[in-house]
Amino acid sequence: MTPTTPAATPSPGPSRATAVWHEVTRHGLFWPVLALVLLLLACGVASPGFLDVTVRDGHLFGQLVDLLRNSATPLLLALGMCLVIATGGIDLSVGAVMAIGLAVSLTYLDTAADPSNIGTVLTAVLLGLVVGAIGGAFNGAMVAGLGIQPFIATMILMVAGRGIAMLITQGQITTVTSPPFKTIGSGFVLGVPTPVVIAVAAFVVVALVVRRTALGMFLESIGINREASRLAGVRSRRTTWTVYVIAGVLAALAGLVYGAPTMAADANNIGLMKELDAIMVVVLGGTKLDGGRFYLGGLLVGAMLLSSLERAVIIFQLPSQTTPLFKAIVLIAVCVAASPTLRAMLRGRRRADRVDTPAAPVEPVSAAEVTA
Amino acid sequence: MSTDEMVRTERTGDGVVHRARRALSGLDRRFLPVLGTLLTLALMLGVGQQRYSTDRVDFVSMKLLSNLLVDNSYLLVLAVGMTFVILTGGIDLSVGAVVALVGLSIAEMFTAGLPLPVVLVVGVLIGTSCGLLIGVMVQMFDIQPFIASLAVMFLARGLANVISVNSLKIDDEGFSALAAWGLKFGEGRQLWRINASMVIALAVLLIAFLVLHYTRFGRSVYGLGAGDGGAAVNLMGLRPARTRVWVYVISGTCAGIAGVLFALYTKSGFNLTGIGMELDAIAAVVIGGTLLSGGVGFVLGTGAGVLVYGLIQVLIAREGLDSWWTRVFIGVVLLAFVILQRVLAVRRR
Repeated sequence: MTPTTPAATPSPGPSRATAVWHEVTRHGLFWPVLALVLLLLACGVASPGFLDVTVRDGHLFGQLVDLLRNSATPLLLALGMCLVIATGGIDLSVGAVMAIGLAVSLTYLDTAADPSNIGTVLTAVLLGLVVGAIGGAFNGAMVAGLGIQPFIATMILMVAGRGIAMLITQGQITTVTSPPFKTIGSGFVLGVPTPVVIAVAAFVVVALVVRRTALGMFLESIGINREASRLAGVRSRRTTWTVYVIAGVLAALAGLVYGAPTMAADANNIGLMKELDAIMVVVLGGTKLDGGRFYLGGLLVGAMLLSSLERAVIIFQLPSQTTPLFKAIVLIAVCVAASPTLRAMLRGRRRADRVDTPAAPVEPVSAAEVTA
Repeated sequence: MSTDEMVRTERTGDGVVHRARRALSGLDRRFLPVLGTLLTLALMLGVGQQRYSTDRVDFVSMKLLSNLLVDNSYLLVLAVGMTFVILTGGIDLSVGAVVALVGLSIAEMFTAGLPLPVVLVVGVLIGTSCGLLIGVMVQMFDIQPFIASLAVMFLARGLANVISVNSLKIDDEGFSALAAWGLKFGEGRQLWRINASMVIALAVLLIAFLVLHYTRFGRSVYGLGAGDGGAAVNLMGLRPARTRVWVYVISGTCAGIAGVLFALYTKSGFNLTGIGMELDAIAAVVIGGTLLSGGVGFVLGTGAGVLVYGLIQVLIAREGLDSWWTRVFIGVVLLAFVILQRVLAVRRR
């Protein structure tokens, strides 16, 4: 389940220490983890007490806990996105699906007789998730059924989805008061914030399903070569479709978690640009957009990196509008640092090597480790 | 509109379909998607003509065309630049943010008292450098175009936010004169005009057409879309690496020009302009019949795609529907169009 463990096979090198060093730096997650640790330390220096976690009223309390809470939404989105990307696709509609899911849930609560009733809330949540699944099923049908490019297929829902959410809320910002629903976003379970629990639970379930069954290998085989995997007996259409449905459900769940604290369905702004954040998390986690090999463990690092970046901007007392600038810097830095070209250049190899083998594997990770 | 005219429009409509069907058999397969675009355009114009023409004014007129081009000139330039990138199988998500950055930079430079030509050139060059950055990341560091342009999108949006989070008004005399310049044709309700942004946009389209179809560079662009990492282009003795950097430079430059045009259109710069504009551009390119996988498409089709896109908005406004219907309808048209392309492609096989 933990594909993040650095590859332990020592490569022939001058000494064992340098060999280990090379292995560590060559691992896909080295740069993101380094960036995360540096960022957290810098925050700790800039704002004393940042790294403290205390227990108040039986709840975990502190900046780091907030950070985890903020990582929940990107993690949920990135989970679905990662699976979709593994099949060689992309899902641009997750932000819009967040908005639709939340709009449906809150509109139902708004019209319900007793919004504070647990049963009503559960129905509302279920409705939101079902709508997410429908959105995902639509995407999946377009991609797997009609064979339309994933980018354009999911872009349709991305463009139209926000309009649909506006139609559901009648162009208003629907607000309701329902303590049980609010708990989803701002409550605690055994002292841990509910969003963190939900995100971790979703992560564990997806990780178990993907890595303990053959599903993960199917996804990778579809991503590497759809036709070959079909010939080898993988039901590539059905599997691809399922993955989009999962992504839709997770996106709707992320929408509920994200919107629950305010309980306001602002169809115009909920989940705006979140699809790009999710893709960024997946990329920071070391998964390539080409499809094929994917790293679920990297998502944890990526999501943490994204939310600590957003937090760091506030801690360093920079205007919050500059956040995109720092996202850009981190994204460029991590991608360039992890690119095989730079490594080759640093080692003084000629670039001609790369032209000969454009798709050369970067890390010597064995198949057993990936699917373990 | 008289019954006579209605019958005539229907007949010409039928004629087009019939002729198209007959021509399909002998037609080069590459033209099929563009043909779909033209059919859609004709259909929408037909519907508009039926529903909104009055006794005195036809819906389909030079005025409509002129208004479409005036309102969408920036989108046309963006879509032309995007066509280059998409033909190589890449994507450029940064253009919307670049438009915002250029608009704010222009406003800021006028405030600083720089002369008009300098401001315009620097504005366009800002776009060029954004494109160059993407190109270098894609070519030198092997970063996927999606991610590289996403990073530049964040960068441009962040820089725009640093310049100002308020709308900056542009009240330079020369700039206003440029925005107001226009040639007027016709009279009364039939009045239509040609303005500066229209001329620039059409010039960009024409240059792009010539470059793509009549130069060695254009050939390389299509060749890169083959998806073999430029191996075939290389074997042909063309330069894949240089071409790949250049398409992003072209797209960035187009985004810079579009930024100037958008500033001319709104006479202000604002950091929230252009959110989702890259998707409008991509949608226009796709509606124009260019395949996102690269290698197939025509820049003139993109021109038709932009007209379809603009026409959707006109039709929605004429129907008096709420603004959020626009997004839904654009989605629906995109869906219909993608499926239409798919069906055409399958039938051909």
